[in-house]
Amino acid sequence: MNQKLNNINEMKCQFLDENATYDFLKFLKGRSKVFAPHRKGEASYIYDEVSDVKDVVLQYPRTIQPLKKYFLPPRETLLSFNIDENNFTESEINVEPRIFFGIHAYEMEGVMRLDYTFEQGQPESNYLTRREQSTFIGISYEPDEYHFSKSLGIDIDSVDGFSLYFKKTDNGYYVYEIDAAGQQLMKEFGKGKRVDIPVTKEEPEFTNKIKYHYNRLPQIFEHVYDSKVWEEVAERCVGCGTCNLLCPTCYCFDVRDEVEINATEGKRERFWDGCMLNPFAEVAGNENFREKLSSRTRHRLYRKFKYITNKSGELHCVGCGRCSKYCPADISITKIINNLIDDYADRQQKQVI
Amino acid sequence: MSGQKPKVAFFDFTGCEGCQLNKLNFENELLDLLELVDIVEFREAMDGKADYYDIAFIEGGISTPQCIERIHDIRRRCGVMVALGQCAVSGGINAMKNLHPSEWVQEAVYGEDKYLFPSIPAQPVSAIVNVDYEVRGCPMSAPEYLHVFKSLILGRKPEIKDYAVCVECKLKENECVLDKGMFCLGPITRAGCEAICPSNGQYCTGCRGPVSNINRDGAVDMLKKHGYSTEEALKRMKMFNTNEIDKEIKWGR
Amino acid sequence: MENVVYEKKDLYYPVMSDILSVETLTAMEKRFQIAMPENQPLNHKPGQFVEVSLFGFGEAPISICSSPTRSPNFELTVRATGRLTDKMHMLEAGSRLGIRGPFGHGFDVDVFKGKDVLFVAGGIGLAPLKSLIDYTLDKREDFNKVKIIYGTKNPAEILFPKAIEEWRQKDDVEFDMTVDRADKSWKGNVGVITTIIPPLQLDVENTVVAVCGPPVMYRFVLMALKAKRIPDDNIYISLERRMKCGVGKCGHCQINDVYVCQDGPVFHYPHVKSLEEAI
Repeated sequence: MNQKLNNINEMKCQFLDENATYDFLKFLKGRSKVFAPHRKGEASYIYDEVSDVKDVVLQYPRTIQPLKKYFLPPRETLLSFNIDENNFTESEINVEPRIFFGIHAYEMEGVMRLDYTFEQGQPESNYLTRREQSTFIGISYEPDEYHFSKSLGIDIDSVDGFSLYFKKTDNGYYVYEIDAAGQQLMKEFGKGKRVDIPVTKEEPEFTNKIKYHYNRLPQIFEHVYDSKVWEEVAERCVGCGTCNLLCPTCYCFDVRDEVEINATEGKRERFWDGCMLNPFAEVAGNENFREKLSSRTRHRLYRKFKYITNKSGELHCVGCGRCSKYCPADISITKIINNLIDDYADRQQKQVI
Repeated sequence: MSGQKPKVAFFDFTGCEGCQLNKLNFENELLDLLELVDIVEFREAMDGKADYYDIAFIEGGISTPQCIERIHDIRRRCGVMVALGQCAVSGGINAMKNLHPSEWVQEAVYGEDKYLFPSIPAQPVSAIVNVDYEVRGCPMSAPEYLHVFKSLILGRKPEIKDYAVCVECKLKENECVLDKGMFCLGPITRAGCEAICPSNGQYCTGCRGPVSNINRDGAVDMLKKHGYSTEEALKRMKMFNTNEIDKEIKWGR
Repeated sequence: MENVVYEKKDLYYPVMSDILSVETLTAMEKRFQIAMPENQPLNHKPGQFVEVSLFGFGEAPISICSSPTRSPNFELTVRATGRLTDKMHMLEAGSRLGIRGPFGHGFDVDVFKGKDVLFVAGGIGLAPLKSLIDYTLDKREDFNKVKIIYGTKNPAEILFPKAIEEWRQKDDVEFDMTVDRADKSWKGNVGVITTIIPPLQLDVENTVVAVCGPPVMYRFVLMALKAKRIPDDNIYISLERRMKCGVGKCGHCQINDVYVCQDGPVFHYPHVKSLEEAI
């Protein structure tokens, strides 16, 4: 399902120590806007524009919002209007070169899933315009108890989508040139030390895992629509929608008109929305087609493992662990999937008997 | 908009007047708002006036027999009625008294004079008359108030958010309050405040009331996981929303 | 990404269009005749919808109720039930509104050609069907027998009395209707729509059915059609969801794995039969 472009173990690389890495960030900043992980609050991280490279955090578990916020902003003006004149002006989307530094492999995969969404059918220029002129520089990370991307075929060192990839080593980073743009960057930076022998290093273990191989998941989802697992999850879920909003591949949105205080000018804006929220599937007459939390959770997971997968050929969960890490009710997506697998296996066994 | 400006009136029922005060906090918008409407009554000066109002904003809840008479009178004389603030919307913090026998409450407050002050269980305005729209919160949420106000001037139904504060909090990319080890009712409380408390180092007290179709047991379990007992969890959930959380309490209609 | 070629056409900008006329149909419904700029035809298929836009009031999906055979202008029948539709009811001829579309998968008219056609409409469901009914009547020779049955709550809510009178007069159209509750003036059938399905004389193998009505109606109508031994394969239904974007992105109209705004609103019944969230 996931075709790896490169296997970095067979690639030559350069070495940058930590100071040189920050120098590299300064170098990048001299070329274009750079976005990278920053600390937020006591123990959280967010992507932010780099103003002082010293604020960039190189090793972090995950950010609160995924990278999608730069291509599908949480709040976006679709058009501005004037009610009295009954006309509108198109919103300008400015494209400028942007470098995204310190990106984890699952996050990059998340962006590529969104690319599929906004390219297929009727391509959406708002997203695709913002997505242009983006360069991604990957970085390795230590998986925590929530990451499980390996179970979905995304290794820590999956480099698909990156121009450069930074792999942590004892006192710095091995830097791999993934594409021509990356090669050019390293050449111009010029401070990398060539490492001539290919570096092989064991990947750290993921403790959070899905029981079955990811290739089997769409098939499992053929058989668990009526599983009792959905009800079990629904007992604990409070429907806050955090899992939707922070998911790197969720893209559903709501559109609302808001007027200025003069009641004449206004904007048509879109906001992130989520299928876990109560009003999401409401239609006129207060009918709600997915009123129960069990059916909402099911819909959310089916969109990750079956509905879109049937069309795109890719799983639309990338194993970042945000939905589980930030769930106030402590609901774990891997537990849901593993319980579904158990339920499926049980039922298969009963059929045999 | 053409023709006459809509006539707007504000009426005060049982509450702390914090909502009233909150309105004066819109320094930037206050004058613009006044441009758009004719404010005919501010505060209590309504006795005996048989006037008609396009929009009546009601602050405070219903807690005395006189309140009932008065709210019926206003309802008869207004076009659109908007409940302003949590006391008007759900009974608010006043409704905590509903958990105790009325006699006991009156004695605790008025002592010997308890019979001089007739009191009934604290109820939302909607328990007595038809309410068209609500602005929730304690005090009422400023962004929602402005939204409702502008919508009514424009002649449209306001968009009432029926999802959790978590949504607005996540859109702002705040660090999760529960993650910081604090208490928070954001996951079950109605959005519309733009997550003002979690965005400013506080936790969500649930002052805007629960989302509809709430998983109450799930919410208690959730708070237990974060170290709060069932009693503590329910107590905090009821603080602003006794009437909505405690289904056993009936205030009749 | 560099190699991706896409059209730089924004999906979300409406085309400002003129309201030519507004006709009050019932207390709840009005019919709007709309012209696109320079009288461009909308180029829609029966059963498709447009997103109607009024600034400050948002957008809403509305079915097109006129037949493409009666271009270039088109008609929308609108019930005042929400933010946008309430405002629409306040508009008069000469006003302008925004249009995006047409969107969705309409009725595949070729399937109906040469067949007996049965229309089953409940309430405002007659509006989307009228597009196909008029199409059928305008190209009458392409179709075999045409039967229309229509159910509404009460006589005051009858949507297109003039059209209905014409249908009644036509020799080559069979029309019957019923109301849930009669008033003093009503002399016709009383009862829900399923009560007028059993008496229909149908060549079941050769009849194609188009159904549209409120959500609650489908289950019962489909049961009644089954009792008449109409094969599922011959049934087409039009479903309602809150289609916000119309272009398969926003997610609101998704039923299991189908997007109503893309795969529907008109569905071949076998396609949605097994989808729990559909009917």
